[in-house]
Amino acid sequence: MPDIFISEEKMEEEKEVKENNPIQKEVKEMLGKTLIKDNKKSLIASFLRNPRGVGFEIKEKEEKIELLLRMHPITNIKWILVTIIMIFAPIVLSKFPILDFLPGNYRFIAILGWYLIVTSFVLENLLTWYFNVYIITDERIIDVDFYNLIYKDISTAEIERIQDVSYTMGGVFRTLFNYGDVFIQTAAEKPNFEFLAVPKPDKVVKLLQDLMIQEKQEAIEGRVR
Amino acid sequence: MGQVIFPNFPTWAVAKVFVLFGMAIYVVFGFVVVRQVKLMTDTLQLGYESIAKVLSYVHLLFTIAVFIFALMIL
Repeated sequence: MPDIFISEEKMEEEKEVKENNPIQKEVKEMLGKTLIKDNKKSLIASFLRNPRGVGFEIKEKEEKIELLLRMHPITNIKWILVTIIMIFAPIVLSKFPILDFLPGNYRFIAILGWYLIVTSFVLENLLTWYFNVYIITDERIIDVDFYNLIYKDISTAEIERIQDVSYTMGGVFRTLFNYGDVFIQTAAEKPNFEFLAVPKPDKVVKLLQDLMIQEKQEAIEGRVR
Repeated sequence: MGQVIFPNFPTWAVAKVFVLFGMAIYVVFGFVVVRQVKLMTDTLQLGYESIAKVLSYVHLLFTIAVFIFALMIL
């Protein structure tokens, strides 16, 4: 049973014991191996380990972000191609007499209005991609979703409540660019978490498994963190 | 055949009202985007908040500029 009150002396003793605990050392080494490698600092990356300068509104003071994920950049290709078509559409369509029934000033406003729609389309897709993130901290997983610039949905689940983690990776693009979907079953209020089209799903699953081991270890030792 | 039913109907004046109404709604949408970006940047601090805010304000200015321009030339 965990202690409710622990004296400073006892805490220091426990700290020493923990530091010398071989299982704890092993878990730390395992996490270190998973976390320290290829630590990219670019904040537009879609797989960011131990990111610096990143925060979220419900972050606790001592909570440490282990991994920040968003959809693989290649998933943006569809709307980028649509944007290119939209940009050149008025030029191509000017060869056909579609808007000829309109007076010149109306035609001009129609084109301006069209480019306004293109701007909104780009902005919406870009912001949705950039701000829809999945965060794995040392204590929980967080899924931040913004739908169509209007709805916000933030779901969290404690690491200790994770029951099962799996991933799928199929198809030419996904194999080629090494991204896939990670599925997490939890005993939390939201039973299923889906990290969709995230890079390196195998590493994400490995990290989650390592964190689950660490949480179990903490539970055995009666520690909170 | 080919007869205009209402020869004095102000077609382009009505069209202008519809266009301006559409543009006004778009300006409101521009404000919604600014508001939403603020909400996003308050929720998450990912490092490029200022750029996202600038983009949303540029978009808003573009909507307002098109509205004013339509008001002037139509």
